[in-house]
Amino acid sequence: MINLSTGAFFERATRQIGSLRSEAEKLQEQLGSGKRLTRSSDDPVAAARLRTLARHERLSEVDQRNSERAMADLKMTDKALGTMTDLVIRAQELTMQAANGANGLEQRQLLLAEIQGVRDSLLMVANSRNAAGQALFGGHLATSAYNPAGAYEGAGEAETVEIGDGQTVIRGLTGPEVISFEHNGNPTDLLTVLGTLAAALQDPAANHTTAAQTALGELEAGLKQVTTAQTIVGARMGWIEIVDERRTATGELFAEERGEIGGADPATTMVRLQEMMTVLEASQASFVRLSGLSLFDKLR
Amino acid sequence: MASDLLSIAQSGARAARAALDVTAQNIANAASDGYVRRSASMQEVSAAGGQMRTGDISLSGVRISGIDRNADMFRQAEVRRTHSDSARATAELRGLENIESAVEQADLFSAIVEFEGSLRQLGSDPIDPALRAATVAAAETMANKFNIAADSLTAVAEGAQFEAGAAVDQANVLTSEIARINVRLARAGPGSSDRASLLDQRDLMLERLSGIANISTSFASDGSVAVRMGGSSGPSLVNGGNASALSMAIDGTNGTPSFTLDGNPVAPAGGSLAGRALVLQEVDTVRGKLDALASTIATAVNNVQGTGAALDGSNGVAMFNGTTAATLQVAFRDGALIATAPAGSPAGSRNAANLADLRTALESGGGAERMNAVLFDISSRVAGHKVTTEALDAIASSARISLEQQSGVDLDTEAANLLRFQQAFQASGRAMQVASDIFQSLLAIR
Repeated sequence: MINLSTGAFFERATRQIGSLRSEAEKLQEQLGSGKRLTRSSDDPVAAARLRTLARHERLSEVDQRNSERAMADLKMTDKALGTMTDLVIRAQELTMQAANGANGLEQRQLLLAEIQGVRDSLLMVANSRNAAGQALFGGHLATSAYNPAGAYEGAGEAETVEIGDGQTVIRGLTGPEVISFEHNGNPTDLLTVLGTLAAALQDPAANHTTAAQTALGELEAGLKQVTTAQTIVGARMGWIEIVDERRTATGELFAEERGEIGGADPATTMVRLQEMMTVLEASQASFVRLSGLSLFDKLR
Repeated sequence: MASDLLSIAQSGARAARAALDVTAQNIANAASDGYVRRSASMQEVSAAGGQMRTGDISLSGVRISGIDRNADMFRQAEVRRTHSDSARATAELRGLENIESAVEQADLFSAIVEFEGSLRQLGSDPIDPALRAATVAAAETMANKFNIAADSLTAVAEGAQFEAGAAVDQANVLTSEIARINVRLARAGPGSSDRASLLDQRDLMLERLSGIANISTSFASDGSVAVRMGGSSGPSLVNGGNASALSMAIDGTNGTPSFTLDGNPVAPAGGSLAGRALVLQEVDTVRGKLDALASTIATAVNNVQGTGAALDGSNGVAMFNGTTAATLQVAFRDGALIATAPAGSPAGSRNAANLADLRTALESGGGAERMNAVLFDISSRVAGHKVTTEALDAIASSARISLEQQSGVDLDTEAANLLRFQQAFQASGRAMQVASDIFQSLLAIR
């Protein structure tokens, strides 16, 4: 004879209803948080992948900020180079006038003052600083790039910045890369050229026309150097944009993957919750009916 | 001797009363833990015909021959065995979940990533004091989280040790109780209700004991039990009236427990004690991994620091003190001491070559990846154990239910029994009435 123990009946019912309830609560928690995993052990592989994705996202945020910073520096460099071009063109005009042999003393003095002004402006631009107050053309060193005498005192190369995926960009140009060049095989730079010209104009005994003509040739080469530098900066900004676009695309992929792995789909979860609730209600109702079946009620 | 209708009816009424008592007792104990359904067994009383009286009717009614306890020894042994397994698995799962929470909630992984990120960000402007300070803060957070994880692990270990200690105490109480029951069983009369309740107690104690350690039992004819730990050839826990003392010692260095029974080392393979011992070993393993990770990170960073120059151009100094997760500390608060530039650089250099090395060292040492692996390892063990525990739990509960079905009280059956014995009582009463009627009709003869 099978003995249907009352204790066993209640224990089994409690167990079943309890496990259904805990399932339903878990689904409810998933709906509330929008996350499928509440702790790693719910799905260890997915949790590990989610952590890796989170790391990539965090680091790519940093990369984004780094590349924005490098971009800002390059834009400032670009502006500075634009100003330099204007200054060199102005210097060319002035030198052209100086090359005209019919200048009187007074006119020469005016030209001299203006050429010195251009040289000072050029020095100032070469010493311009970025948003963090560091010399744009100083390479590694944060101190000023050129001393008032026009000698370069920065570092030999500009620093590179990592902008993610192992890609780097050189965030600036050193002074010599912009204003130093060779003319007829002789190394010189724009500050020296203008300084020499000014000195010649100051010297009444010098041949001003020859000096101005030499300077004119040198300025031509200098202008080419500055515009070349501007092209380089433009290319670097383009590179940063390419890497940025790539990062955005990867970021979208990561976000999508994270949603797929770790997100709880509301529709599916809702339907499963409804299913669970139906089963739970049915088993509660049947428990009430079964437990109400007592022979004692029938015996009078 | 001839039959006596009145005394037969009286014995019937008495037996029915006793059976009703047993039924009422069953109903009253329907929800009692460890109560096994009783039934009164009845036996006919009659005398064999003697010499020269072969044709005699010699009936003397019925008597209660004993109170039966409807326990199935096999199912009880099954319950004990499966209960041991499930208790071990449950204790282990709970401990592993605690370890998982301890390591996961310390959020060490994101702290390592944050440190990595801060180093990378410092690369955008190595001389920015704000970025340097942020890097030192990130390093401090990481070190703190290592400390927190180590502390939480210690708390998990202490909890498991405490619970194991409590279980050992309880096991000692249970074994001495079983020994006392053994003594009393030897004195209780067979078939008595006293004996039945002693057996109930014995089985309840054995089941509780099996939740603490895996045991094997052998029963003597008087119901007393000999308990051994492990298999049937294991060390004796209870023998007759003697209980052996179980004790536990915690290893000072790695925190794992060892057990002795009357001074002889034993290793429980089941029950919560075995589960807790496994948990404590796991805590030790995880702690070892965290320590190794902390030491790797500290060494890698410190080595590269040593090959670089700080902001003021001086040689880099170690960034971390301590080589274990619990003792890891940041050695300096001043962000200027981070050696971003290569050795020999002038003060204020923006050269980030050494910083790049620092980052590479951290990455190739596998900081975040290794932490991820540690977390994955623990969480996949928890997930695996969850499945095992659920299976063992289902087996244990089905064994339990099958025992309950066989030995538990079914109120419907008892209701039917009430009716049955009530009717038997009434019938015996009617038999007495008949005896009296017969007597009356004899007296009425004139």
